[in-house]
Amino acid sequence: MKLRRSMLFVPGSNTAMVCNAFIYKPDTVMFDLEDSVALSEKDSARLMVFHALNHFVYKDVETAVRVNPLDSPYGLLDLEAVVRAGVDIVRLPKTDTVDDVLEMQAAIEKIENEIGRTKKTKLLAAIESALGVVSAVDIARCSDRLMGIALGAEDFVRDLHTQRTKQGAELMAARSQILLAARAAKIHAFDSIFSDVKDKEGFLAEVNYIKGLGFDGKSLVNPNQISTLHEAFAPSIEDVDWAIEVTEAAKEAQEQGLGVVSLDGRMVDAPIIARAQWTLELAQASGIRRD
Amino acid sequence: MSVLKKSAYAGTLESSDAYIQVSPIEEDDIKIVLESSVKEIYGDAIEELVRETIQDMNVNNVLVNVQDKGALDFVIKARLQAAILRACEMEQPEWEVL
Amino acid sequence: MKPAISFSQFDNTNTRRVKKVEHFLDSVDLELSPDIEVYVSAREDNKMIACGGLSGNVLKCIAISPEKRGEGFVLSVMTQLLNAANDRGRKELFIFSTPKNRTFFEECGFRLIEECDEKIMLMENTQNLEKYKNSLSELKKDGEVIGSIVMNANPFTLGHRYLVESAASQSDHLHIFVVREDASEFKFEDRIALIKSGLSHIENITIHEGSDYIISKATFPTYFIKDKGDVNELHAKLDLNIYRNHLAPKLGITHRFVGTEPYCTVTNNYNKNMKNILEDKNGSSNIIKVIEIQRVEYDNKAISASRVRALLKDKNYEELSNIVPDTTFEFLTKTK
Repeated sequence: MKLRRSMLFVPGSNTAMVCNAFIYKPDTVMFDLEDSVALSEKDSARLMVFHALNHFVYKDVETAVRVNPLDSPYGLLDLEAVVRAGVDIVRLPKTDTVDDVLEMQAAIEKIENEIGRTKKTKLLAAIESALGVVSAVDIARCSDRLMGIALGAEDFVRDLHTQRTKQGAELMAARSQILLAARAAKIHAFDSIFSDVKDKEGFLAEVNYIKGLGFDGKSLVNPNQISTLHEAFAPSIEDVDWAIEVTEAAKEAQEQGLGVVSLDGRMVDAPIIARAQWTLELAQASGIRRD
Repeated sequence: MSVLKKSAYAGTLESSDAYIQVSPIEEDDIKIVLESSVKEIYGDAIEELVRETIQDMNVNNVLVNVQDKGALDFVIKARLQAAILRACEMEQPEWEVL
Repeated sequence: MKPAISFSQFDNTNTRRVKKVEHFLDSVDLELSPDIEVYVSAREDNKMIACGGLSGNVLKCIAISPEKRGEGFVLSVMTQLLNAANDRGRKELFIFSTPKNRTFFEECGFRLIEECDEKIMLMENTQNLEKYKNSLSELKKDGEVIGSIVMNANPFTLGHRYLVESAASQSDHLHIFVVREDASEFKFEDRIALIKSGLSHIENITIHEGSDYIISKATFPTYFIKDKGDVNELHAKLDLNIYRNHLAPKLGITHRFVGTEPYCTVTNNYNKNMKNILEDKNGSSNIIKVIEIQRVEYDNKAISASRVRALLKDKNYEELSNIVPDTTFEFLTKTK
């Protein structure tokens, strides 16, 4: 299963970052053509990202692009460029309703058909408004291309008529809703960026908090944040020990032809085994492993 | 053949980038003026890349001014194409060509 | 996620923003140059962190707040300035600044023309100085005494004519540079036309249209020069060093002729500086001898262009006819 703990935000107009992002090995590189790119640079950034996506250094990295809204002069042109360049995920800038997702999907499908591309470009919906949050469940279920929903905190708190705080009380409802919706639809849930790159403690606190809530990953604005995030998301030794026991029990049961796996007198069903395997994959990716 | 309707520019002077200016000229030629810290080693290769990119876009009669700040090939291409499209006042390029 | 730093461009009619720029420049110990047409400013968290201005084809008042220096941020600011200049079709640009900033601007495609006393330097982003010098070489004439005059001639008077006649008689060939800067009452085309017609009787002269490389006081920036008393001297040094090191050698110039200046202190100072600079034995190029020629008088007063302009204003055509050649007189009375 693809790990998506870290999604590194790369402004499409920042050449140095576009060239170097892959070096830091985030789980996903997200090129932005929307808010971080000035209007006069939209066309230039689009071309930059188009070429970057086609470049060999990004062939083995999962790529995403946040495109401009379809009702702007830029959105469709962005799609033409990035779908043709083979981007893995298109991030919708602001998703309020199911229609937003379906429109984007239709537009992408049209291009894929035109160029004869069989690979289905995935979607990631960014929820940045109250309406988006209350529609989260419907949004999360409306398309099989949708691989996750993400919280866009900056715009969201503005929609709520409040401000962001370190404690994040203003985001509680949104985070819960988004997480619940994602889990109900069996897709990923992503948390928002932490913009104060100098506050390492604050960042770690937020990461631990959202990990505790159950989020799969988080958007990042600075490569420095990647290792902190990955470490925090690594399973503990106890988690790994448990996971090893479960997977060994499952292997044993299979070898003995038993229909049911048991561990310490308790039944261990498929979801638990899957989770144990995922824990081991995670441990391997994070560099923590006990042999 | 696409025609330049005006002068245009794209890119920045920041490290790893290139600042590229294009303008239409009378002569039936592609003139290139290159400024680069690696001009001695890569000057010819960069000029060749610029020339090819412009020819692939079906453009002629152009003066190109390139200030290279250590840009990779694809960066030079991206900035150059952006400048040419702006100069031709074209929104949508032919993606296959690029 | 909006970018942390935002740039804006505005012109000098936006008084509110210009004031903010002035304030920012003050915080980094610089003054606002009053002739700036277009401004570029950068803001982070609602605070100004950088600015720059364009005046004609000169970039000036480029400043970055101390916390942002050393990050290559100046390159982003310069990009914005070049964009603003490009938008107005100005691709051939100059920068006056303190020499310590030289490497920054070299990274932006500018090359040094001349530097003075570690206090001021001039740079350009083209090869135009070389091209200009090459074109000058083609006009070089042979001779032992190759004289030169730099004149504004606002307008051309009998005083100017006398100066040229004296200089020409002492030289094998005389080169006359006409200052292009249109900070005068009379437009450049008119001034040079009057010069040419007023001197048509002299054979051993070449009249050159002034270039960007003769630096008039009007374009000389002072905003980063702390000690205002320095300004005139630095202007003279920069201008005359360019003249001596770059322009004069291409024509083999050996002498420079000036009229004595009884009225204007600034010009008088300039002439004094001229002797020091052009005749300095420690200079890197050949000495140019400065010859001062006494101003010709009419009615016990030295003839000057300012006097001509005053008489013109008073419509005193009779006295006017005594101090300008016929060709100038015709022009002045025709247009009135």
